[in-house]
Amino acid sequence: MAQYECPDCGYVYDEKTGCEREGYPAGTTWEQIPEEFPCPDCFVREKPDFESLGEIKEVGE
Amino acid sequence: MSIVIIGAGHAGLTLAREIRVNCKATPITIISRDAIRGYYKPNLSKALSMEKTPDQLVMKSAETIAQDLDVKLLSHVTVIDIDAEHKELRGLFNNTEESSVMTISYHSLVLATGASPIRIPIERDATTELLSINNLEDYEVFRERIQQKKKILIIGAGFVGCELASDLASNGYDVDIVDLCEWPLQRAMPEVMGTEIKKAMAEQGVTWHLGKSLTSVKTDQESGKTAYLSDGTSIHTDAIVSAVGLVPNTRLASNAGVRVQRGIEVDALSQTSQTDVYALGDCVEYKGVTLPFIMPATHAAKALAKTLTGTDTELTLPALPVAVKISACPTVVCPPLNKKGIWQVQGAGMNLEAHFINEEGVMSGFSLTGQCITKKNQLAAECLPALPAGISEIIVHNCTKRAG
Repeated sequence: MAQYECPDCGYVYDEKTGCEREGYPAGTTWEQIPEEFPCPDCFVREKPDFESLGEIKEVGE
Repeated sequence: MSIVIIGAGHAGLTLAREIRVNCKATPITIISRDAIRGYYKPNLSKALSMEKTPDQLVMKSAETIAQDLDVKLLSHVTVIDIDAEHKELRGLFNNTEESSVMTISYHSLVLATGASPIRIPIERDATTELLSINNLEDYEVFRERIQQKKKILIIGAGFVGCELASDLASNGYDVDIVDLCEWPLQRAMPEVMGTEIKKAMAEQGVTWHLGKSLTSVKTDQESGKTAYLSDGTSIHTDAIVSAVGLVPNTRLASNAGVRVQRGIEVDALSQTSQTDVYALGDCVEYKGVTLPFIMPATHAAKALAKTLTGTDTELTLPALPVAVKISACPTVVCPPLNKKGIWQVQGAGMNLEAHFINEEGVMSGFSLTGQCITKKNQLAAECLPALPAGISEIIVHNCTKRAG
């Protein structure tokens, strides 16, 4: 599962946990997130601005 | 053509980044009187809960910024004056070892000078600090002062005051808040909603002193600081933070002959009354209103970046919801810019939805608490835009030519 970070505020979208309050349950892949998805924390940056933090391996680094 | 940006806060750095999206070649210089560090300012009032030290809030170092954006960074340079006619400015470089004056010329100049905390006069002795938090340097001082301390007094129950109180209270501090208002975030929400926030934060350990002001502070070697309120209440405290609002930094602009009211006046292209001098961020006013938030600055940076790289782009601002980080009660506000109208509230308990209906019967603002915050995107789409297209005045310039 991969993680993506908002370049402004540092919010991290984690595919593993999703973002329940925005309507994206755990396991929702980045690909399934719409292009106009605004950062749920700062509301400013949108999906295309997010930076990939790469694949996160199970538990720990 | 070269672009010089004064100020390396969110507005200045975002503008540089957006210019690079459109154009790789334009030389960009960013001048800052402080050290240049890329951090997200709203994180200053939630860093304790994020378990971050001031250093860890820095997302990009000066080196990274300079390299990623191919910009020239001039840290610790204070701009002395701007000669808008000859398109040059003088800067004073100053660090602990040396100081020197430099002259920098530009084709386009952007003022992103930000705003400074308002300081209200409070009777106290010279050694009693009144802290305020408006940048990372301030925040470093604040974190130092609250180390090993327990009781913090905050003046101001607005965005910053409430977020800071929440961050401190949820990390074991005893917090007192003083404000003349009747409920927290009074300018952004109706009483019933403010009362819920008040209740939720009180349960967390925040003590409210509303409808009162702080008049004096006495410091005693043995008993420490005691703050006295307008009604005679006294509060023992370890540190006092003032969070009563911001005033735009406009001195440089007005000295350069740029028209200034409360903030720097700009037209729909973010240009000031001086040709080729632009402004954005907390130092600016739009139709008489200052919007010291992240989102308007980002929108303005995107539009101005296009204008500066050859495509004139008018700034329009949609409704601007802001998340207020109160851990005890999730909150989103989108304050109406014109205060004439009424609040309509629905919901129960902490889960409330309030619409601000203006005199024309249109929703011009809203606020949401609890589970209702999930409606923010839907309401933002329905709400009156903060700055609609096509109606902002274009300032008439002496010279109509714009560097493009």
